[in-house]
Amino acid sequence: MELQLGLALPSNPTQGFDLNFYGCESKEGMVSDSCYQDTNDINDKKRGFDQTSSENAADSATAVPRTLSLLLWNNHPNEEDDYPKDLENHSFFTPKEDDGDGDGLVGWPPIKYSRRNKRVCDENNGAVVENGYGCGGRGSNSTYVKVKMEGIPIARKIDLSLHQSFETLTETLMDMFGQWWLETGHKDSNEYKLVYQDWEGDWLFTQDVSWRTFIRSVQRLKLMKSSG
Amino acid sequence: MQRMACSFPDEVLEHVFSFVQCDNDRNAISTVCKSWYKIERWSRRRVFVGNCYAISPGMVIRRFPELRSIELKGKPHFADFNLVPDGWGGYVAPWISAMAAAYPWLEEIRLKRMVITDENLELIAKSFKNFKVLVLSSCEGFSTEGLAAVAANCRNLRELDLRESEVEDLSGHWLSHFPDDYTSLVSLNIACLGCEVSFSALERLVGRCPNLRTLRLNRAVPLDKLANLLRRAPQLVELGTGAYSSELRPDVFSNLSGAFSGCKELKSLSGFWDVVPGYLPAVYPICCRLTTLNLSYATIQSPDLIKLVGQCQNLQRLWVLDYIEDAGLDAVAASCKGLRELRVFPSDPFGPEPNVLLTEQGLVSVSEGCPKLQSVLYFCRQMSNAALMTIARNRPNMTRFRLCIIEPGTPDYLTLQPLDVGFGAIVEHCKDLQRLSLSGLLTDRVFEYIGTYAKKLEMLSVAFAGESDLGLHHVLSGCENLRKLEIRDCPFGDKALLANAAKLETMRSLWMSSCSVTFGACKLLGQKMPRLNVEVIDERGPPDSRPERCPIEKLYIYRTVAGPRFDMPGFVWTIDEDSAMRLS
Repeated sequence: MELQLGLALPSNPTQGFDLNFYGCESKEGMVSDSCYQDTNDINDKKRGFDQTSSENAADSATAVPRTLSLLLWNNHPNEEDDYPKDLENHSFFTPKEDDGDGDGLVGWPPIKYSRRNKRVCDENNGAVVENGYGCGGRGSNSTYVKVKMEGIPIARKIDLSLHQSFETLTETLMDMFGQWWLETGHKDSNEYKLVYQDWEGDWLFTQDVSWRTFIRSVQRLKLMKSSG
Repeated sequence: MQRMACSFPDEVLEHVFSFVQCDNDRNAISTVCKSWYKIERWSRRRVFVGNCYAISPGMVIRRFPELRSIELKGKPHFADFNLVPDGWGGYVAPWISAMAAAYPWLEEIRLKRMVITDENLELIAKSFKNFKVLVLSSCEGFSTEGLAAVAANCRNLRELDLRESEVEDLSGHWLSHFPDDYTSLVSLNIACLGCEVSFSALERLVGRCPNLRTLRLNRAVPLDKLANLLRRAPQLVELGTGAYSSELRPDVFSNLSGAFSGCKELKSLSGFWDVVPGYLPAVYPICCRLTTLNLSYATIQSPDLIKLVGQCQNLQRLWVLDYIEDAGLDAVAASCKGLRELRVFPSDPFGPEPNVLLTEQGLVSVSEGCPKLQSVLYFCRQMSNAALMTIARNRPNMTRFRLCIIEPGTPDYLTLQPLDVGFGAIVEHCKDLQRLSLSGLLTDRVFEYIGTYAKKLEMLSVAFAGESDLGLHHVLSGCENLRKLEIRDCPFGDKALLANAAKLETMRSLWMSSCSVTFGACKLLGQKMPRLNVEVIDERGPPDSRPERCPIEKLYIYRTVAGPRFDMPGFVWTIDEDSAMRLS
């Protein structure tokens, strides 16, 4: 018993892959024939698919749906990065349509919550972050997060270990983006609200949380225009 | 017709079967003949359900009326990394209700990645008079109130293990609910609890349980109290410390050191939050007996780690942060000749650049120096095909190899080539490889190697890899023993999935997120494969409100004899035979 799609794929420049050859055989006869009697449906669907994609054969080595593109991993059109390889913007895929934030990899690197957020240490009062990661002896614990300002294409990075309160943080951010303001005519810092993305991928207002909660879970920052 | 198999009385067969504990063997026994099937099902005491939705509680109970022990797993593995939205499922409630009625003599419940509530815990505590073992691994949904119910009612409890569960910490007084005449505790793991437990209750509990062999404390237990606990339980085999920090004081140190010396059976150490290096020598007297050392929360630097690990000649399992660096792993390779398992976790996974001198070389050293090394989990920032090939040739006995190069798409740093041939060497040389996690820059070629060589592979994790459906097809068509496949952010679409639909029934589950599978393909699979549940997880709204060719967010396919489930949240859609799109 076999499930075969009966496809004739466009000739593949790199590998003479014929899906027919790899037609799947069900072992031990587990699946009954009735599942596969109506292969016409499958073929029709697939034939249509292939007909479209064969026109685009020049675009890719194998038939890839048009809705996808494989991003080059060392170029991101919208941002100038401080570092050539930006961990958080690596994606082999175009971002999901409605994901306005676009960037940020949920769940990567693959470590459980209990092991996360090692880097930030509140040295002023000696407290350690909740998950038990005090600062190691090294001074180079990296505490940079990315900051984007709504309306400005270029993101910046800020070292959170230099700050102990939202006031100093906001002031620094305003200075950082200050040049843009002059150019765009915005002068009032009250027009912007600071939001941050926590380790779960959720975006939260900094005004709603304590500094301690914020510093323990922040992954990235955004300055958004207050509406109204 | 020969009737040899039936010439023994049932009692004799049952006695013979009692020596067979392995699930696969028991399953085989049950297929010999009707009589053996009957005897086996009445005598089976333990069942493992790898996917709680693959079968219903009623079906298990009908077949095995006399179970004493059950193990259930719920959410897919990627739930550990927040890829499964809250509310997806994995509720243990229907199982507890059914078993409360059917198995009054149930003794053991082990759950992984399931949702269990305080009500469920109360039902367990009241329903099973001889309840002995509760293991909740990466579970959630309950609070310390539920634990109090278990402590108060389970007079024969041996094991309470909350490993890495998320517990709502309402109060530390739950521990005081163990009655004063309760003495049967053998294993207690509360390391995941945030709040302080009543220390005097803990001391008394430890002092009156002579069979206590495992004690994993939470961070809130201070170091200066540890010695007292140890002196009350010198028979401990496994210990997890609390916070390992205190002002350096000679009296505290010598007290601690003496207490450790008194623990002649201690073989496993963990905990070590907030380590003050000056207190590490307190454990030196017992290092030579240690077989397991978990320093993955210990933010100590390489020199201190080297001094510690250098004394652990009998170490078999080491979990550590990448603070150990290549130099520390060289020391491990030199000292720990019996090492079987190594896990190196990242201290700064989100930092843009390396903060420690840990490279591929550390892993190569250990692969050279430790002939029994068979299980590896390694986070690093650079890798080369040459290193992977060396590791593969050094360690053909490798059975679990999980490599995470922190930056997705990182090539061989020496040649800038994909890491296909490196991982290819791993699967080619390590013929008994059961589990593999890939990372770095990878093309379809690596999957061709995997499909060709990884014949014993049971679990594969893939992220940011591959170029086309051909990659997925190689895996599905080549890996004969594949049970679990989890994929994220790869350009795999409908074709390989549909061409290998029957393969999916031979596996426990398939997870695909941020790939290119369309809703059309999911509908087809759901309609044509009645013994699969095809779950489309999409938080953007109903999949049929978008074009059929639009990729879905997440897909979870698993085989089941229980049919579609009815506890799905609003963002999960499944398609069944009558081709109606079903919401729960």
